[in-house]
Amino acid sequence: MIHRLLAVLSLAFLCGSAVNAEPFVQGGPIGSQTSDGYNALGPVVQQPIDFPHYRHAKDMGINCMYCHTGARRGYVSVIPREDKCIGCHQNIESVKDKPRIKKLFEYWDKKEPIPWKKVNDLPDFVRFNHERHIQRFYFRQDRPVREVCGYCHGDVANMTVDRRVKSLSMGWCVSCHEKDHKESVTNMKTSHGPNECWQCHK
Amino acid sequence: MSESGINRRDFLKVLGLGGSSLALTGCGNTDVQSGVEVVMPNVHPEDFVVPGLSVFYASTCTQCGSACGVMGRVREGRVLKLEGNPESKISGGKICGLGQAAVQAQYNPDRLTQPMVKEGDKLVPTTWEKAMALLDDKTGPKSGISGEQFAFVTGATSGHLKALIQNYMDSLGSKNHFVYEAVSPAIGFAANRQVYGVDMPRLHLDKAKLIVSFGSDFLGTGASPVHFAREYAKFRKAPRGTLVQIEPKMTMTGANADRWIPIIPGTEGVFALGVANELLNHEEYVRATSPDIVALVRKYDRETVSRATGVRPELVAHVAALLWEKTPSLVISGASAEGHVHGVQNAMAIQLLNKILGNVGKTVDGQAQSPFPQIAPSAGSFAALKAMNDEMGGGKFKAVFIHGANPVFTAPSFMGFRENLRKAPFKVAFVDAIDETAQECDLVLPILTAVEDFGSHVAWYQPEGVEVSIQQPLMEKLHADTRSMGDIMLDLVKVRRAEEYKAWPDFFSYLKTAVVAVKPVVKYTDTDEHFWYDVLSHGLIQVDAPQQEVGANFAAAALDLSSSAPVQDPKFPFYLIPSERHNFRDGRHANLGWLQESPDPLTTVVWDSWAEIHPKTAASMGISEGDYLEIASQNGMLKVKAYLFPGIHPDAISIPLGQGHEALGRFAQGVGVNPFRILDPVFEKSTGEIAMYGTRVSVRKTGSKETVVKDEGPYNTQLGRKLVVTLPADVAQLSKEI
Repeated sequence: MIHRLLAVLSLAFLCGSAVNAEPFVQGGPIGSQTSDGYNALGPVVQQPIDFPHYRHAKDMGINCMYCHTGARRGYVSVIPREDKCIGCHQNIESVKDKPRIKKLFEYWDKKEPIPWKKVNDLPDFVRFNHERHIQRFYFRQDRPVREVCGYCHGDVANMTVDRRVKSLSMGWCVSCHEKDHKESVTNMKTSHGPNECWQCHK
Repeated sequence: MSESGINRRDFLKVLGLGGSSLALTGCGNTDVQSGVEVVMPNVHPEDFVVPGLSVFYASTCTQCGSACGVMGRVREGRVLKLEGNPESKISGGKICGLGQAAVQAQYNPDRLTQPMVKEGDKLVPTTWEKAMALLDDKTGPKSGISGEQFAFVTGATSGHLKALIQNYMDSLGSKNHFVYEAVSPAIGFAANRQVYGVDMPRLHLDKAKLIVSFGSDFLGTGASPVHFAREYAKFRKAPRGTLVQIEPKMTMTGANADRWIPIIPGTEGVFALGVANELLNHEEYVRATSPDIVALVRKYDRETVSRATGVRPELVAHVAALLWEKTPSLVISGASAEGHVHGVQNAMAIQLLNKILGNVGKTVDGQAQSPFPQIAPSAGSFAALKAMNDEMGGGKFKAVFIHGANPVFTAPSFMGFRENLRKAPFKVAFVDAIDETAQECDLVLPILTAVEDFGSHVAWYQPEGVEVSIQQPLMEKLHADTRSMGDIMLDLVKVRRAEEYKAWPDFFSYLKTAVVAVKPVVKYTDTDEHFWYDVLSHGLIQVDAPQQEVGANFAAAALDLSSSAPVQDPKFPFYLIPSERHNFRDGRHANLGWLQESPDPLTTVVWDSWAEIHPKTAASMGISEGDYLEIASQNGMLKVKAYLFPGIHPDAISIPLGQGHEALGRFAQGVGVNPFRILDPVFEKSTGEIAMYGTRVSVRKTGSKETVVKDEGPYNTQLGRKLVVTLPADVAQLSKEI
C-alpha cells in the first residue's frame, strides 16, 4: 500500500517537474534520456536568453510558425525578428520585470540583434528545405504542428532552450525518405521523399 | 608560378602534406553541430524581408558604357547575383560575363576602405574630416586656385553625376574637364559625323541578310555587346544571315563569321573601295553613285587591291558578289579598321558600301534624339588626355582630380604621363581600389561601388527610344568609411554654391529631384513620390524621342586612300595589334578573379598575357608555343610568351590589353604585360586620336620557355584520337558555300 502511494506521489512529482522545472536548462550528458522520452544527442547550448519554448508553444499553445515564419516559405525556418518579440511583450505587463524579458528589452533598446547560437546546424554542404516538409506534412496532410516540427526537432514545446534530440545524419534523413507517405489528407496515394543526391547537396 | 618560386610539382607535394588538415579545417562546418555558430535575427527589418528568400532590385550595370539594365538578387542584405532586366531595351533581360563579375568588385578584398593621404612617397590612412579639410585647403576659395589651374579627368560619363561634375567645374570657372577613354570610339564617331551627320547611327543587324564587318567586334566589345548579341541571334535565325569578317586578327565576332578574311592592318579601306569597284559593275549601283566617286573607285581594281591588302583578288570579287546577291546588307567598320593614321578615311570608305548598296535608311538609320542634353553621354577620347597631358607637362595645373580612368596605366610611355602628373602639386583620385594612377596621387578617396550607390546613365548606343538607366543601391555600403562619388561632388559644389544647392543634403535627393523633373516628358500623371518609386522598381525611364536624321555624304577627296600604304621599316617588320578582350577592356577589371579565370574565348589562356603569332611565321623563326619573345617597338619592349594562332595575319603580332598592372590589388598585380606601354606616337590625322593599330614591332626569341596556362588541349592532336572529323578549309571548298 505504502509502495503504491509512494509510486503515485513520485509520478505526480515527476509530472510536475516535467512542466515546471524547465527540463533542459540543466540538461543531462549527451545520450541521457530526456523527460519526454528522447535522447539528448547534442550538448546543452548556452543561449543569450534562456528562451522558454514550453511557455510559448505548450502553455500558451502558440503555433511554432507564428515565430518561425520562414518555415513554410523558404529554406530556413527563421529566427524571429526582434520586433516580433517586442510586439507582444510590450503589452504583457505581468512578465515585464522577469529577468529574461528585461534582457530582451535591453537588446531592443540598443537595437542590437540577439546573438542566438545555432542548435540544429547541418554541415555546410547540406541544404535542408523547411518549406517542402512543412507544406507536405502540415498543410497538405494536416498533421499537428508539434508533430511535424517534432519529426526533426523533437518535442520542443517541452523544452526551455532547444536541444538537439534527433540524429540529423544522412542515414537518418534517408530512413524517413525511404518510407511511403500520403500525398495529402484527401489523396491516399503515397510517395516517398526524393533520394537524388542533388536534392540536398547543391 | 615560377616568379613565386613554386613549380607545379612542389605545389602538389605541399598539397599532399597539407591536404588532409585542409580538409578538416579549411572547408567550414562538416558535421552536425550545436552551439558553435551564431545566428543573428533582424532587429526591425522591412516587412518584405524573409531570411532565406531573395529580393530583386532593378539597377544598372556600370562595368562598361552600354548601361545594361540589371536585376540584382539580394538576400539577407547582400547582393549575390546580377542578371539582365527584361524591361531594358539595351540588355533585354540578359547580361555578359563582365556584368556578372560586378558582384566580385563589390566583395573584392583589395577594395580601398578608407581615405589615404600621401606622406613622403607612401599613401597612409587618414580620416574623411582631414581629407575634406585638405581638399578645401588646396581647391577651396581660400586656396586662390583659378579655373585654369584645375583639371578633372574622368572616363566616359553620362547621367546626373556628369551634370554635377559639370556644375562643379562651372563653380570653379574651369573648362578643363577631360573625358578620356583609352579604347575610345572617337575615330568611328568622327567618320560617322562626316558621313551620316550623327555620332553613331543605329545598326539593324536583325534586318540584314548579310553583314560585312571590317574589324568590328560587335559581339565581344564595342558599343553594346549584349544588345548586339541578341540582334545577331535574330539575324542568324532562319533564313540564316551570313557574316563576313575582314580583320587582321580574329576577334570573337570573327570567330562567329561564316568567312573570315585576314588582311594587312590599315588596308581595310582599300579593300572596301575594291569591293565598291566590283559592285559598280552593276549599272543600278552606278546610277546611285556620284560620278566623282565612281571615278575614284575605278582606280581600285582587283589586282591593285590584292597587292595592297594581301587578300586574294578573287575574294574581293567574291565579297562583292555576296553583297549583290544578299540584300539588304549591312557593312560595319570597327576598331581594327579605324585605329590607323587614315582611320577616318578607312571608316568612310567602308561606309561608302552602305551608300552604294542603299543600306542607309534600311539597316542603318538614326538613333533617338535625347531630350536631355545635360545628362547626354560623353564617350571620351584619347585626344582629351593628350591635350591635358601637354598642358600638365607645362606645369599649368595646380590641382588634378581623376575619376573613372587610370591614365598612368593606359597612357603610352611616350607621353610621359606619370612624370607630368608628378608636376601637378595636388592630385586627387576617387577610386574603389588603388590603381596605378591613385598610387601617384596625394589624396585617394574611397568611393562606393556601383552596387552600393545611386546614379543614372545614358548609353551612347540606344537601340530603341532613349533609355535613362537608373542605378540604385542593391545593398548597404560594405565599408563604413567609403562615400558616394555623388555625395562628395555635391559637397564640393556647395563649397562655392551653398545657396543654390542647399535643398539637397545628399546625391540621393539631388537625383530624386532631377528624375522627378522628367515626369512631364514621359507624361506621367500620378504623384512625384509614385513616379520615383515607379522609376526605381523598373530601373529605367524609357523616353520616346524623334529619330535623328541620317544622311549619306561622301566627298571623293576624303576617300582617296592611294597614299595610305603602310611605311615599311625593316627594323620593325611586324604590325602590333593590341587587342581588346571582352572581359578586361582597357584593364580596369583585371582585379576580378572571375574574369582572370574565365578563359579567353579564342586562345583559352587564363591569368596571363600572350603574344599571338601565325604558325607559319613562328615556324620560319623557330618559335614554338611558350617561347618567351621580346616584342619591341621604338618606345619599349615587352617579354611575353608566344601562342601560335592561325587566326592572325602572318605579318602581325597581337597582345591583349588589360594585363600588366603594377597595382590594383593581388589579382591584377604582376599578371602579364601591358601593351599600352609600347605604343608608338602614331595619330589619326584628322582627329588626333592615337592610332592603336599603327605601332610596328620587332620580334626576337629569347631562348627561355614556359608552359602557356590554358584550357585548350594539345594543339590539333585531338588527344591522339579522331574525336571530331575535320576538313581543311581549302579541301572543303568554302568559297562554294559562303
